[in-house]
Amino acid sequence: MSVFHRRRERGHAMLELAVCAGVMLVLLSGTFQFGYIFYLYNQLVTAVGNGARYAAQRTYRAAAKQDVELGTAAIRNMVVYGDPRPATGARPVVPNLSPEQIEVNWVKQGDGAPSAVELAVRRYAINAVFRSFTFDRRPAVQFPYVGRYAPAEREP
Amino acid sequence: MCASMFVLLAALGLAFDLGRIYIAHNEGQVFADAASMAAAQQFDGSPDGLIRASAAARNLPGRWNMAAESFKNIRVDFSKDGSRWEQDWRLLTGDAAAIHLARVKVEGNNLDITFLRAVGGPTSFEVPAQAVAAANPVRLLE
Repeated sequence: MSVFHRRRERGHAMLELAVCAGVMLVLLSGTFQFGYIFYLYNQLVTAVGNGARYAAQRTYRAAAKQDVELGTAAIRNMVVYGDPRPATGARPVVPNLSPEQIEVNWVKQGDGAPSAVELAVRRYAINAVFRSFTFDRRPAVQFPYVGRYAPAEREP
Repeated sequence: MCASMFVLLAALGLAFDLGRIYIAHNEGQVFADAASMAAAQQFDGSPDGLIRASAAARNLPGRWNMAAESFKNIRVDFSKDGSRWEQDWRLLTGDAAAIHLARVKVEGNNLDITFLRAVGGPTSFEVPAQAVAAANPVRLLE
């Protein structure tokens, strides 16, 4: 084989590598992005589900507005930390999720007793290295309220 | 080249399609939990209570496939003790007060498979979910 032919083959191989590497890089980065986003979204669904189950069974104390807010804070902590009263410095179950991002809405009956609770995640951004995605009002879930309604009780 | 593309597509399919399946399963399970509790909450010992139980589970708002679709096929079964389940409680007993359990099955959640089908996988995948709740007090059993 002449020197000219060998050089031409080497050129073909480099061209093939350049094309293949481009396609593979796109596929691999896509695999990483989607895998990471789906992993975090699944964590969010689990966290919101756990928080909603907790909220649905928790005693709704409403002696004062402050008691309702304390109850809501406990529900938010349950979603974010997996614990209604997390220790100082506790880490969220989903990275960068904060209690302020958890929306808690009570569906109430005429007498003020809750009949259902809705939980949703607001403006949660996932930085998947190549691109950032933001989920707003999802995941969201509604549970029927099956706990005890205590309009005259204070939060401990 | 062909072999490496096959492996890459399979890896992409595992990350993308399996990821979506896991999410859909999780969303379905959370919804089934809520729907079964909504059904059990309506039990008051009367036949009307059981009709309301079915309606409560079917009318509960919920979305799946990353909140893109509503749940459609929701089946509600009743049981006295968990050994036999029927949609029509009268096939179990003549006394509505004997019904203590509600089971919600979320069926027909077919997820379109995007990448795994290119490497011989299925074109769609059904992601079912179910939950059982008891009444007095309302609680999840499974």
